[in-house]
Amino acid sequence: MQRPDWAPDTIDIERPSVARMYDYYLGGSHNFAADRAAARAMVEAVPEAPLMAQANRAFLRRAVQFLADSGVRQFLDIGSGIPTVGNVHEIAQRIDPESRVIYVDVDPVAVAHSREILHGNDRATVIQEDLRRPEAILGHPEVTKLLDFSQPVAVMIVAVLHFIPDSDRPEEILRTLRAALAPGSHLVMSQASDDGRRETGERAEAERVYRRTDNQLWIRSRAELAALFDGFELVDPGVVWVPQWRPESPEQAENAEQAVFMGGVGRLGG
Amino acid sequence: MGEGAAGARSCPGTFARAWAKAVAGTSYLPMTEAQLESLLQRLTERLAAAIQAEPFDLRIGQQVGAELVAAHIASAEGLGRTVEVIQLRLVRDLGLVADEVEDRMARLLATVATGYARALRDRTLDEQESIRRAAMVARAQAERALRDSEARFRHQATHDPLTELPNRTLFTERLSAAIDEPGRGADRVGVCFLDLDRFKVVNDSLGHQVGDSLLVSVAQRLRRALGEHLVARLGGDEFVILVERTACTDDAVKVAEAALAVVSEPALVDGHELTVSASIGIVERQVAGTSPGELMRAADSTLHWAKAAGGARWALFDADRNRRELARYALSAAIPTALDRGEFYLDYQPLTSLRNGRVLGMEALVRWRHPELGVLRPDSFIGLAEETGLIVRLGGWVLAEACREAEGWSAGHDDPPFVSVNLAVRQVHRPGLVQEVRGVLRQTGLPPDRLQLEITESTMMSTAEEPVRALRVLADQGVRIAIDDFGTGYCNLAYLRDLPVTELKVAGEFVAGLRAPAADPGSRTDERILASLVSLAHALDLTVTAEGVETAEQADRLRAIGCDAGQGWHFGRPAPADRFLAQWA
Repeated sequence: MQRPDWAPDTIDIERPSVARMYDYYLGGSHNFAADRAAARAMVEAVPEAPLMAQANRAFLRRAVQFLADSGVRQFLDIGSGIPTVGNVHEIAQRIDPESRVIYVDVDPVAVAHSREILHGNDRATVIQEDLRRPEAILGHPEVTKLLDFSQPVAVMIVAVLHFIPDSDRPEEILRTLRAALAPGSHLVMSQASDDGRRETGERAEAERVYRRTDNQLWIRSRAELAALFDGFELVDPGVVWVPQWRPESPEQAENAEQAVFMGGVGRLGG
Repeated sequence: MGEGAAGARSCPGTFARAWAKAVAGTSYLPMTEAQLESLLQRLTERLAAAIQAEPFDLRIGQQVGAELVAAHIASAEGLGRTVEVIQLRLVRDLGLVADEVEDRMARLLATVATGYARALRDRTLDEQESIRRAAMVARAQAERALRDSEARFRHQATHDPLTELPNRTLFTERLSAAIDEPGRGADRVGVCFLDLDRFKVVNDSLGHQVGDSLLVSVAQRLRRALGEHLVARLGGDEFVILVERTACTDDAVKVAEAALAVVSEPALVDGHELTVSASIGIVERQVAGTSPGELMRAADSTLHWAKAAGGARWALFDADRNRRELARYALSAAIPTALDRGEFYLDYQPLTSLRNGRVLGMEALVRWRHPELGVLRPDSFIGLAEETGLIVRLGGWVLAEACREAEGWSAGHDDPPFVSVNLAVRQVHRPGLVQEVRGVLRQTGLPPDRLQLEITESTMMSTAEEPVRALRVLADQGVRIAIDDFGTGYCNLAYLRDLPVTELKVAGEFVAGLRAPAADPGSRTDERILASLVSLAHALDLTVTAEGVETAEQADRLRAIGCDAGQGWHFGRPAPADRFLAQWA
């Protein structure tokens, strides 16, 4: 077994983790003092941060529901974080217990926690990998064992892309993933965006907060995010502020741009 | 009854919808709006029952609080808004009627808050515990991965990738530990240095792939046969075995014998049935007073002894032999520097006419004025120089120096002696011999007929034509060619037919016999051999010089036989040329 070159030498809980900060925004307690301190600083700078996280999580839930209703039974959730409330496998397996789910995260604590939660579930598992190594994800023995890439797979890259700079060539990462997918597969993506928003200094402050973590923020516009769906047909309503994506009620979509996240779902035709 | 009682379970009432709106956004709720309202409708009905129940039941409010938390409506804000909406709207929206309703509402809210806070506290503690456990597991895994990678790195750094045997690094570590670890001083240790015989032939004839497979096969056999002892591959076809805590030398010898036996087993390698042998150098000694480097060097030179003795055997280290070889090695290594520093000089020994006592020529004999060892005679360094090839440079110096000095002997003399210079085999076989001799004669101005080159019979053993041709060219120019030590080497007289030889120098062995009384049978035999050699030489029109003439009696008998000249202590010990030149004048 080759040790992944990105794996840390040891686990430092004194350093904030984006996965555990996200858990804090969602109201969870799967976090440490350093995570809470960083999350509170973020809330100080961007008071909507918890609402953003919740809106994004709700988008994920609606997207999985939509995909499961559309007949997708395989999910590859990359950057799954701390799998607290409203996991992909809970939603998908409630609709069809045969649904298969692979969680992927780079954070070893998130992975260890996921493994604990998934213990005994032979149709859902977690691997420690990095979105920036798509070949390693696709070729991982757990992935090839559980997922059948000749059948549709939903690839979820939710609230992760803003940690991937352009220099890491996200378009190539997505091309690699797309090449492995069968027709009828889907791509679910969301990321922090400032599309049409006034420069308020919030973005600079948010970026400053995230510099304390291992992950910097890379904000993208709607057009930039839409371009990353290259090769997929965007499902209605396209790339939008996440509360506007198939809301359950009109009120949910109010003040949607405050959610900061834009997202969409693409379908691989053919 | 209010609408709560009338409404269906699945149909949330005004209050449940208001409650859902109040808690939305307090934390992430993993459910749809409809699911949330449906859940809260169910809880609303239980709260309504609690307000009216007789007697008041503490448990209902607590259960509702706990259920809210279980449904992930689990935040301080969630509780605050829940308390607010119940207090403001529950009784009114549901049109509830009860005695002391305010009193009951206060108690209901207290129980809901209690159940909620207790559940949230438990949930928080559980989540904290689970994330800490995850961090611990992750840390243990990261550390294990680090250890694994370190172990893997260490394995790669200490093992040979081809055979998977320990490599030189690990062997040196283990050997050092065996020697330097505290308390090992009284131990004995053995090292067997093994090298395959003629491995290059396998590589050259069957290819490197088969060669590599053979090495793997040998490695496996060695490991199998010598399991308890550390077997390492040092590189190429060199292996080494560490024999720790030997009781005596024989223990190491037994290991070497087992290794030789297992290596020489025929083996099928890549479809070839190969039988190889090996040579082993063994060093076995007490740990105290030795060092890993010393042991390895000793084992290495011992291996060369085994190789030199023909291979397929072991040799045991011999300190005296090693000392001699080291001294010889040091001496040969010093020759180039000594040449640069001018530490060599020439003495001469006269070749005297037995007819009239004149000095016909003088043989140049090289001396080394060694800064530490004093003056060294040729027998202590010429052999070395021949082995290492340094003889070419040293011989070239002797030739040039002898010619330079000999040119000076002619001053004031009509018929000065020639100078006789020994040529080593390598010098004769060198392509540039003719040019070298010509160049020296030109530079020094010495006439060719005053230079005699002495070659041994063994020089002519080779059938190569080039040396013969070169000597003939030189002879044609007038250079004298003498056969040195005639009668002791390669006694095929055929070369006398081809070579332009002018003189035979008869080896001192035959002359030594002439010291005994003339009546002694051995002495008589030597005299007859000498007489035959002289008549043979004269028949071929060659002159004869007898070497090793020590007494006047020997000189007389040689003269009687008809020998032309003599060389030896009787005529003069080797000395600077001046001494003989003065005599001769």
